[in-house]
Amino acid sequence: MNEKLPLLPKAQVGKGHLNWLLWLIPIAAAFLCAWFVGEDIIFAGPTVTIYFENADGLQEHNSLLEYRGATIGEVGILKLTKDRQRVAVKVQLDASAANIARQGSVFWIVRPEVKLGALSGLQTIVSGNYITVEPGNGERTNQFIGAETAPIKPVQALDIRLLAPKLGSLQPLSPIFYRDIQVGEVLDCRLSDDAREVVIHARIREEYAPLVRMNSKFWNAGGINVHIGLFSGANISAESAQTLISGGIEFATPADFQNAATNDAVFNLNEKSEDEWEKWSPAIPLHSVPEAMKNKSTLPNLKNPR
Amino acid sequence: MEKIVACQTCGLVQQADDVPKGSVIKCARCHFQIFHRRVDSRVRTMAFSLAALIFYIPANLYPIVTAEYQGHHIQTTIFQGISSLFTLHQYFIGSLMFFTSMLTPGLKIIGLMFITLTLDWPHWKKARTWVFKIIRIIDPWNMLEVFLLAICVSMVELGEVATVHPGRGVFSFAAVVVLTLLATLSFDSRLLWDSPTERKL
Repeated sequence: MNEKLPLLPKAQVGKGHLNWLLWLIPIAAAFLCAWFVGEDIIFAGPTVTIYFENADGLQEHNSLLEYRGATIGEVGILKLTKDRQRVAVKVQLDASAANIARQGSVFWIVRPEVKLGALSGLQTIVSGNYITVEPGNGERTNQFIGAETAPIKPVQALDIRLLAPKLGSLQPLSPIFYRDIQVGEVLDCRLSDDAREVVIHARIREEYAPLVRMNSKFWNAGGINVHIGLFSGANISAESAQTLISGGIEFATPADFQNAATNDAVFNLNEKSEDEWEKWSPAIPLHSVPEAMKNKSTLPNLKNPR
Repeated sequence: MEKIVACQTCGLVQQADDVPKGSVIKCARCHFQIFHRRVDSRVRTMAFSLAALIFYIPANLYPIVTAEYQGHHIQTTIFQGISSLFTLHQYFIGSLMFFTSMLTPGLKIIGLMFITLTLDWPHWKKARTWVFKIIRIIDPWNMLEVFLLAICVSMVELGEVATVHPGRGVFSFAAVVVLTLLATLSFDSRLLWDSPTERKL
């Protein structure tokens, strides 16, 4: 046997590799997992709880919180409160939207709404309902009472009240016309406190506010007016196709107009116009477009966000 | 001490000297490493299965996919996927999914770690052999999860109406698959029955 050995080739000796380097793999794995968790904790915004009377259409873990079309949070779990009066909706905010969690923020659920003269939230029919928010500027808080409907934005406008014996075909969002141009809309209608008449809350856009004077005359322009007279024959008139369905209000201001109407001024709503009113054509200077509207097209100051 | 060894790669029989620690023997003909037992088998298996065990946690806790379908925002982890299959009465596919993507990787990782950690212990030799047998049985099923993932991805691609983002879970899951594969590859089953003196070679 010893004689045969020299015939065999001799194996070489090489340098081995460092096997401790292998332990870098689990260490790297642990670091990556720690980063996953850290990212969730560091880059996640606060969790807020919103109490809705009706969370219809929200889906646990699926629905989103959107603001100006951007997704800024996700709905977590929905839970009934102990008194069964509300649903507590947990929303995990994105870090970029941590500022939303302030007192005064109003959250509401956007649902599809089909009303005459106004369709809103139509995208939610396919996309599902979502929560949206009108940010406030108060103290930081994590508890909110959700609003049932979108808050009416405090806009520069003239709010007036019209008294009518009957509502007729008027409804919220019915248009208000001046010379057949829409200058405002009905906000809501309700019975007066003593139920003797109907109070219609109407809003005139700011630029048209000077048209409303204390002696302006309002009349119901909805529906079809049919006059049948012995000498004039049949006279059928309607303001516009829209008012046929949704109702509408028209007004006119006499040439000897008085002071501009103030907020919450009360007027009578006449059932129909008098011929004289429609002939009135006083010259009233209108407001120019407010400055704030003009600035909307400029870029926001990104360096110093509020 | 001189000994005669055969190269595992080209089959050349040659003589080899004892080598100092940290060095390896290389074949005279093909220059591949000659080893008595697979190189660093124990350390490699331990490292890979530990890394796989670490990734196994996010793979199961984080969503596999985040799908946006017509505004609906759906996140699904492996377990949610399985439970939804069960609620849809797809018991066969559901249990297949459970066995191949949750149970077998976990069992395999724990089994390999058990074997490599207790290897020096003279007792439990039978238990180690049993665990190894179980690993051998579930190994082919483990490969199924790769195909299952491929099917899932193709299903997702089919639904072009949905926007699908892979979640962190799917990355971790892929890491688990690759690392358990590497762990099994580097494990030398002969270690199971080696006596402590044999293992020193």
